[in-house]
Amino acid sequence: MSKESPNKKAEGPEYIRIKFDAPRPYNWSTGKYLGKVYAEAKENKKLVSNRCPQCKEIWLPPTPVCPKCKVDMGWDWVELPQTGTVYQYTYLVYPLWDPHFGEKWANPYPSATILLDNGVFYRHWIEETDKEKLRVGMRVQAVWKEDYDERGQGVQDILYFRTIEA
Amino acid sequence: MPNRVAIVGIGQTYHTGSRDDVSQPEMVAEAVRAALADAQLSIKDIEGVFSGNMETFEGIYLPDHGMAAEVGAFGKPGFKVNTGGTTGASVVTEGFYMVSSGLYDLALVIGFEKQDCGDTTAAISAAAVPTWAKGAATGAIGEFAKQALAYLETSGAKEEHAAMVRLKADRNACRNPYAHLKLGLKNIDEVLQSPYLVWPLRLMDFCPQSCGACALVLASEKRAKNIHKKPVWIADVEVVHQEPFRAGVFGDPTGKETYTQHVACERLYKRNGITNPRKDIDMAEIYEPSNWEELNLYEHLHFCDKNEGWKLIEKGITEIEGEFPVNPSGGVIATNPIGATPIIRVAEAALQIRGDAGEHQIAKDIKTAMATALGGPNWTVLFLLKRSL
Amino acid sequence: MQTVTEKLEGMDVWIYHGQIKIPNSYSAGAVGSRFLIELRDKKRIMGTRCPACNRVYVPARSICKDCFGQLDEWVEVSDRGTVLTYAVDHESKPIQPVEPPIIYGIIQLDGADTGFVHMLGEVDPEQLRVGMKVQAVFKEERVGNILDIKYFKPLA
Repeated sequence: MSKESPNKKAEGPEYIRIKFDAPRPYNWSTGKYLGKVYAEAKENKKLVSNRCPQCKEIWLPPTPVCPKCKVDMGWDWVELPQTGTVYQYTYLVYPLWDPHFGEKWANPYPSATILLDNGVFYRHWIEETDKEKLRVGMRVQAVWKEDYDERGQGVQDILYFRTIEA
Repeated sequence: MPNRVAIVGIGQTYHTGSRDDVSQPEMVAEAVRAALADAQLSIKDIEGVFSGNMETFEGIYLPDHGMAAEVGAFGKPGFKVNTGGTTGASVVTEGFYMVSSGLYDLALVIGFEKQDCGDTTAAISAAAVPTWAKGAATGAIGEFAKQALAYLETSGAKEEHAAMVRLKADRNACRNPYAHLKLGLKNIDEVLQSPYLVWPLRLMDFCPQSCGACALVLASEKRAKNIHKKPVWIADVEVVHQEPFRAGVFGDPTGKETYTQHVACERLYKRNGITNPRKDIDMAEIYEPSNWEELNLYEHLHFCDKNEGWKLIEKGITEIEGEFPVNPSGGVIATNPIGATPIIRVAEAALQIRGDAGEHQIAKDIKTAMATALGGPNWTVLFLLKRSL
Repeated sequence: MQTVTEKLEGMDVWIYHGQIKIPNSYSAGAVGSRFLIELRDKKRIMGTRCPACNRVYVPARSICKDCFGQLDEWVEVSDRGTVLTYAVDHESKPIQPVEPPIIYGIIQLDGADTGFVHMLGEVDPEQLRVGMKVQAVFKEERVGNILDIKYFKPLA
């Protein structure tokens, strides 16, 4: 279960540290709202979300209760555009530990907040890795996994957003 | 009418990067003993013990159970609070509610984090909903990197301004014996040469991972005056949360976002008759995870107008000798044991009001101070502290 | 980094079979380290004594839970003791010290005023009795961990 390395310093007392990094297994359900997003992504390569019956706002990820109006969001699903504008972006220089993967990795793709063409914000990765070419305002388009069997991970079915040449 | 609540005991550990010589409970015990000594009380006098900690960082579930003896909670009521970055502030708010309700006369509130026991970014990334945002392992630093970019692009600020904030924080931290990072920076070039971590945040732009604990003893009005010569009154508390759906969690170039800080400040200032924060309040200890966010917060907390935050640092207004000192303790960017960090803001603001901050005491008389807390996704807690009500 | 998701039969709901794995490194502290080092180097079990309450804590700790006093009086306790209670775990779970069936017991060593959790071995579950006398069996290779004690076996 655990292996520890006594912290022997040249002088002074020895201090012990107990190391523990066993993975803890979990099973998470999407529920029916996020499940609808998964279904549309897998079957139709579409990005959808639900719209509030009262304020007509679209929230991503979908939610059963409107955060603004506090009413039941219902089942009014809307297809979202697959093109947008990069609003903010960042990229990792050093690898960081990802607890879901259980190791350090540096995502080679920059992570961006994209303003989809209907005014909804969406965070995803962008394909452009050349730092010189990255800028706020660039136009991007979703690129999906083409293989049907590889899809089924919800929004991870979108590989990244590719720059559209203006 | 709720009862008045005062801070009558303040204690913190000497915050540092790694502590091999104590276990997590023992580290917390140091802060508890310091707070009790400051209040000249014994643990027997305390009626309830409230602690705050973000468990995933240390990977110890229910740490308050394991340290019941070390915090003197054995046999006493109390519970642990975890609200992300605002954990410490939430626990002070809990203590405030308890004493203000009249059910408790003396409460001990503790915030702690022993971050050498885990990996902070990993723990924060574990907060991402795995069915939606898996693989977005940028932790908090990614969000603040995006905020920095947004501020850089829209406000007219330059990287030099962020570096000036870092220099201020380090100068102040070097005068604070409890602070963690004391780099001895001489000029902003040293900051501008540090490498990028998550673009455009540099290594020096972001707060460290510290080990430390901070404890406060809160007392009701009828007990406070008999305990400490200089009780510091918690005049008001405001807590505002926000859903994580919005894109610009910390930075918004469109100017259309409603930020929790705006909402919280509007309410707090209105209730307390504050119309010009820089004049009506004497100093502030704000929760700034990065130097860029400090510039942002100057604007969101209404210390200046939009897009003017960088002018405050350029003119030296927020320096310790300035007209409106901000973070004379060195702030979060010098010391960040996350569960304790907001309590340290309250503790440092209280020390300034008392005149007990030692080398980093502000020269002018501090009668009113503000302490803030910030947590993902942009939750805000504000405290207004006063020497007399 | 492929994700393992599974669609439920007959409905648009997916289950993600995932994990949380974070590297943790817990500091035993000065007192905890001394306790573990005594186990590792000398096969001795040590406790700390509170002079005000006249109580010996095993494993050793630094603060008395009742009087809040700092404890620095070290006492060696016997490697023999009494089983206060026990439980037998048959289920296989992801994070376990050994393979099931695992017999957990709360053992109060002679000389200690507290019990602590450990495992019982070399005993048939049918023969377990509250109050039975047991003795520590140490591992040959010890590293400074509570599991340097392999288990407690019944005294004949």
